[in-house]
Amino acid sequence: MDRKNFLSAIIPLSASVAAVAKGSIVSKEKFSLTEDEKLHKIPAYLKPGDLIGITCPSGYIMPEDLQPAVNKMKEWGFDIRLGDTAGKRDFTLAGDDEERAKDFQNMINDPTIKAIMLARGGYGAVRIIDKINFEKFVKKPKWIIGFSDATVFHCHINRNFGIASIHSKMCNSFPSDWSSAEQKQLDSIDSIRKCLIGEKMTYKTLPGSNNRAGAEEGILIGGNLSILENLAASDSDISTESKILFIEEVEEYLYNIDRMLWNLKRSGKFDKLKGLIVGGFNKIKPDDPGEDFGKTVYEMVLEKVKEYNYPVCFDFPVGHQKENYALKCGVKHKLTVSGDSVQLNEI
Amino acid sequence: MIKIPPYLKPGDSIGVICPSGYMPYEKAVMAIETLAEWGFHVVPGKTLGHQFNYFSGTDEERLADLQMMMDDDKIKAIFCARGGYGMGRIIDDIKFKKFEKKPKWIIGFSDITVLQSHLYSCYKIASLHAPMAVAFNDAENTNPYIQSLHDALIGRPANYTNTGNSFNKKGEVSGVLVGGNLSILAHLLGTPSEIKTANKILFIEDVGEYIYNVDRMMYQLKRNGKLDDLKGLIVGKFTDMKDTTVPFGTSVEEVISDIVKDYDYPVCFNFPVSHDKENYALKIGVEYKLSVSATLVALKEI
Repeated sequence: MDRKNFLSAIIPLSASVAAVAKGSIVSKEKFSLTEDEKLHKIPAYLKPGDLIGITCPSGYIMPEDLQPAVNKMKEWGFDIRLGDTAGKRDFTLAGDDEERAKDFQNMINDPTIKAIMLARGGYGAVRIIDKINFEKFVKKPKWIIGFSDATVFHCHINRNFGIASIHSKMCNSFPSDWSSAEQKQLDSIDSIRKCLIGEKMTYKTLPGSNNRAGAEEGILIGGNLSILENLAASDSDISTESKILFIEEVEEYLYNIDRMLWNLKRSGKFDKLKGLIVGGFNKIKPDDPGEDFGKTVYEMVLEKVKEYNYPVCFDFPVGHQKENYALKCGVKHKLTVSGDSVQLNEI
Repeated sequence: MIKIPPYLKPGDSIGVICPSGYMPYEKAVMAIETLAEWGFHVVPGKTLGHQFNYFSGTDEERLADLQMMMDDDKIKAIFCARGGYGMGRIIDDIKFKKFEKKPKWIIGFSDITVLQSHLYSCYKIASLHAPMAVAFNDAENTNPYIQSLHDALIGRPANYTNTGNSFNKKGEVSGVLVGGNLSILAHLLGTPSEIKTANKILFIEDVGEYIYNVDRMMYQLKRNGKLDDLKGLIVGKFTDMKDTTVPFGTSVEEVISDIVKDYDYPVCFNFPVSHDKENYALKIGVEYKLSVSATLVALKEI
């Protein structure tokens, strides 16, 4: 069995489990799919000359800040089309809800666009997600690329359609001065290219004293902790059963990280995982003087998952940081955590 | 059927605890003295004035104090002296078996919304969203908001009024009141403690939040269907709001008005429920009549 057929065999199975768990997912798809279409869960990988669309469903970005990404992706051999929201601005948003939804919809519906990179995160995806009609996308999936607020899209399309997507840096993380960029930043950006052309992804990082050893396989899913929690119990909420979950966060208070982790735990998201990958928890906001929270992120996570025995690793290179490798959400991976290393390998 | 705890009589005992964040004892003195002036016997819990890092004790200590107060027959109401953060860490370890049979008023707001939402959603027990200890300080212990707590405790039905607001949507409805701190209500979504809002009058308040995050939390409630079948919406004060460096561009009133624009139930803004001193005691789980007219808002217990 080649890899594509293997994945096709796996993913619809987990999608049906999710449907049973939540009840009405299948009926929410207001359009019918042929058997062949149902198997198209991994978007087609890109070939030289393929077109990548850039759109801003969340925060605004200045046109000049898009240029490094445009140039680099052209260098990779792709054509680029900027959406109407590129450079558009309505206070913090890249245009009003209708404008952002329409641009995203156009990108989804246009058959010549093979992948959609979200220009930046910020806030705003949740305001338009229910306005998007995913019918054409489901019939002919394409890669959606981004992280942070883009977690809304990763979760929504995983939950409802079981379609793979790429969690990675976005346009605003491509440096304007490549010569002064650190190697890990360059490698992180290049990992997007590797994902897009269909390279089988492998990641190896250093061991950590807080890690919990083990080796498990499962579909990879995850993203920004705040967003995962914000989507709780909504139509975009992920099912984590039998999955490898990754989480990352930035600029939060420790107490709020704890509160969000409790939401995940109390909504059952840690119960039936195959593995947990904790990425960067960066720029944590300082506690008020005299009111130190007194717990580290390591402690907070480990206390939530102590009754389970799946592998757990920390400081994985994913998050709001220079080292933020592209991860294929909705694709099966093997996570191996040992005393020597942490490895995440696409299967 | 809603379980309404018995109202208090002079001489009844009130337990005072800190189930979440730490509070220095001296900050609770005025509240304790006022409760005593009202004729109640105050029983301080072990967590009052106790400190473990941020918290008023370890999870075990805070749980034990709350559990003891809940299960002690001599205690007729539990006054939470402070919110902060921490109730969500112990909520699943609380035993409700005895309390369910003999409920008592749980008084507080902010982080206490966790317990109050849980009590209503899981056990249909009413509770009292009301000022906590610091609200009594600085000679505020006789203001009408603190007085409303006294009235609520002894069973005097509430009848609150507030001035009109250009964002208000008119209407007159009756329904069970539920609600609390918006951040907490959002954090509880998807958990067993999440709020049930169908056919209810919902009230929300928040403090120190970014406007975009209020927007996000309102979308959370909406996408969970929590705004669909309301009888009415009471928006309290959103105090000490923060904005992003680039302004979000809309006010809290505009954010909320926009999200509920498709519904035809009454909505009022700037109601005196908040982290500021304007914070009337509200009984979660009890039926009220909400009347919103052009110039006046009235919330009357029925």
